[in-house]
Amino acid sequence: MVTRTQLNYIDWGLIVLLIINSLIGIAVIYSSSHHLMGNYAFKQFMWLLVSLGAIFILISFDYNILVTYSSYLYIVCLILLGSTLIFGNLISGAKSWIKLPFFQIQPSEITKIVLILLLSRTFSEFKGRSIKIIHGLTSVAAVCVPFLIVAIQPDLGTATSYIFILAGAVLLAGINKKILILFLIAAIVFGFLGWNFFLKDYQRMRVKTFLFPEKDPLGVGYHIIQSKIAIGSGGLLGKGYLKGTQSQLRFLPARHTDFIFSVIGEEFGFIGVALVLIVYFLFLARIFRSVGKARDRAGVYIIFMVAVLLSSQFLINVLMTIGLFPITGIPLPFISYGGSSLLTNSLAVGLILNIKMRRFVNL
Amino acid sequence: MTNKIYEDLSPIIRRSHKIFILVQIVFVLLIFIFWKIQIIDHKKYWELSEANRLREISIPAQRGIITDRRGEILAKNIASFKVSIIRENCEDLEKSCFRIAEILNLKPDVIKQRIDKFKTLPEFHPIIIKDNLTPAEVAMIESHKLELPELLLQSEPKRNYPQGACASHILGYVQELSLSEMKLEKYRDKKLGDLIGKTGIEKKYDARLAGRDGLLIEIVDSLGRSKEQIQDRPPQPGGKIELTLDFNIQNKCEEMLDGKEGAIVVMDPRNGEVLAMTSYPDYDPNKFVNRFTPNEWLELVNSTEYPLENRATRGLYSPGSTFKPAMLLAALDSKTITKRTTFFCSGSVKIYGNDFYCWNRGGHGSVNIYESIQKSCNIYFYQLGKMMKIEKISEYARKFGFGQRTGIDLPEEKAGIVPDPDWKKRTTNNPWYPGETISVSIGQGPLLVTPLQLAVYTSHIANRGMKKVRPYLLMDAFDSESAAIDINADIFEDVIEGMWRSVNRGGTAWAARVEGMEICGKTGSTQVISRETAEKLAKKNIVLKTHSWFIGFAPRKAPRIAIIVLVEFGGMGGSTAAPIAREIFKFCEHLQW
Repeated sequence: MVTRTQLNYIDWGLIVLLIINSLIGIAVIYSSSHHLMGNYAFKQFMWLLVSLGAIFILISFDYNILVTYSSYLYIVCLILLGSTLIFGNLISGAKSWIKLPFFQIQPSEITKIVLILLLSRTFSEFKGRSIKIIHGLTSVAAVCVPFLIVAIQPDLGTATSYIFILAGAVLLAGINKKILILFLIAAIVFGFLGWNFFLKDYQRMRVKTFLFPEKDPLGVGYHIIQSKIAIGSGGLLGKGYLKGTQSQLRFLPARHTDFIFSVIGEEFGFIGVALVLIVYFLFLARIFRSVGKARDRAGVYIIFMVAVLLSSQFLINVLMTIGLFPITGIPLPFISYGGSSLLTNSLAVGLILNIKMRRFVNL
Repeated sequence: MTNKIYEDLSPIIRRSHKIFILVQIVFVLLIFIFWKIQIIDHKKYWELSEANRLREISIPAQRGIITDRRGEILAKNIASFKVSIIRENCEDLEKSCFRIAEILNLKPDVIKQRIDKFKTLPEFHPIIIKDNLTPAEVAMIESHKLELPELLLQSEPKRNYPQGACASHILGYVQELSLSEMKLEKYRDKKLGDLIGKTGIEKKYDARLAGRDGLLIEIVDSLGRSKEQIQDRPPQPGGKIELTLDFNIQNKCEEMLDGKEGAIVVMDPRNGEVLAMTSYPDYDPNKFVNRFTPNEWLELVNSTEYPLENRATRGLYSPGSTFKPAMLLAALDSKTITKRTTFFCSGSVKIYGNDFYCWNRGGHGSVNIYESIQKSCNIYFYQLGKMMKIEKISEYARKFGFGQRTGIDLPEEKAGIVPDPDWKKRTTNNPWYPGETISVSIGQGPLLVTPLQLAVYTSHIANRGMKKVRPYLLMDAFDSESAAIDINADIFEDVIEGMWRSVNRGGTAWAARVEGMEICGKTGSTQVISRETAEKLAKKNIVLKTHSWFIGFAPRKAPRIAIIVLVEFGGMGGSTAAPIAREIFKFCEHLQW
């Protein structure tokens, strides 16, 4: 399955960057949760090992096989998502987990990979200068079904990331102005309907709080204010590892998950923030550069969608901690605590490795 | 697949690079934004974070006690325990709820609802899940302390009413601040979970009783453990409140009404001190002085007998014949009649084409002003009503305090209705019919009063209109300045003569007579259904019981007590309400009031 030549083309640099990001994550998770029950840092480390193992299993299959069978994977995903609604285990208000004897998984996370594969298959068939309406509509429908299920769970953060995957594919395929306008109108209509009939109260609250955080200093606005205090009080050099008063004194909520970047800002200061931004930038740059290394159209789409998925999640999360984006529950990829999320993002990187090592035909 | 030739992918790769340029721009912007927050605004955020290192803990203040005028304690505080959940310390909120539910013998859903109600609070804020814990529950929580770090056990003073149901309508009760009350300006210092007075004195004087919670400020270490305490402000206990009530009289009144529905008010006519105020049926406020609503509460709220309503200030009734002294005063003062005016009562009279009857179908014969009160002759007052017209009657009714709140220091008092053509036009858009004036002149029709208003009116007669009485419950709430009612004192003496005869010369209120006490009184029996319906029923030999009234004061010269008694569906005032008043008069005499 894997030839010796292909092994020579494994992008070790990407793997190293992934591991660096994850280790930064584990160190900060420890700092922000060591006084809580549950040993989160150790759990995250185990998940990192599992994820690395999963990457090596994934790259032993040619990605084209996965692309070919993506529609079956898609159906399996829908069944799993549907079953979470019925049997799901309620965690922090969202029905998104399936409990297995040894661990819990979040099908909504794995769905991201499957959507990338499915969309790459659909879009690799369009070779014109821009996509046609009918193709656009089928791909929108394919994303809408899991989007609605996950949004009902309710996990708007994950559901939003599906939209980013779709947007990435559509952007790459090229879109003519007529369709773009159609999309915008649809977005406005859905936005209006969603705001009035679909969003839960707490979600509407979050958007309002995003716009006016000081109006609600003890409610949802509390998160944003506390997060900004944490980051701002870090200064140039930070308060030192394990010494952040905001995070250690628990004024900062969800410090080891959604607000982990605030802990970095507080404990390592502007220097720490800049370093993490640089490392992450190198990581994303390497992924974007890989787009040109793919052998075929499907490969280009896959790498690009992974790049859009990771960079959108990263940027949204960071913007959220400084109050420039509503709190949507999107974690920082590779750094935030969360097994399913780490595994999914690793698999996404695994797809890139997979494509890059098979970039030469007829060898 | 492997032998496919490379296709030209450069257009889409170029698009990908464009998108990456966008991402690069955002990264550069982020560096600038973090520079602004962490370097330029650093000082501001540093100060804010220092403030955060101090943790505030509020220490509940003892609520002030409430006593009667002799120092008998009516409301106090006892030690009690409450338990809260700190969500942040939960490993799995779902599991925690189940465990805690098991230990505290609650339903998991109850805890979840409770947490849901306060979900906007930050995660480290304790949410109270049960108060009023039994010693067994406290022991249970203590023994599970290590396994359940999310539970926080705290002691707090709990409100207690040692006399049970006695004076429950006056005292009111405390309950948890609701989310809607939280938004009111007057509760802006309160926190979620605080207990506030919901009715009665507890509500009216909440600010005075509540005191001020103490604030313990401590510096906490990285594990949230307290390192140093700076007790900034000790709790200020609430002020004591002494009521004008006399516990003995209050108790006697409750005893007299036991098993009935109705109200009794005992007042000092000289200054408006309320010595007793009872409303029956009553309730034991101790049963729901906590943050949760057990079934007893719902039963009380939903009961058809409205035990939570204070009938004395919120019940609206027709005054019936107890209104007749006011009619006579009005007629004499407005010179509609003179002291010598008599009317002949044949048992019925035709006015405006309708037959109106006296309660005594045989007729009273010739009736003078004193006998009109003594015998409570309806015909006499029909004639007064016809001569005075409704405008005059309502003008005088208002002078005695009807149709407006008495101003007692209890919340949500009702004002009652003094009808006139304007009122009728406003509410029903119909003109006033002269026949209605005839009904009002014997205290029926749309005229509605509260028992407390009748007590105030009785006091006005007792003090000969020397001053307008505002009833009050708080010992130091007396305001000495008040205008007199501009009716000649001689006229009062004439009406009082009639009331004295009613009790002491074989009048309708003879059952209230106490040997050696100069009691003046008047009874009333008010039809709860319309006159026409009652007459139809009477023809079929069905008699519906009427509300039974007594108003009176003693002694005749320099009165010291005024009493009003209402027994709903008690039958004739002379046979039900008057004997109750007699017992209370006797009791007051015994206490040497």
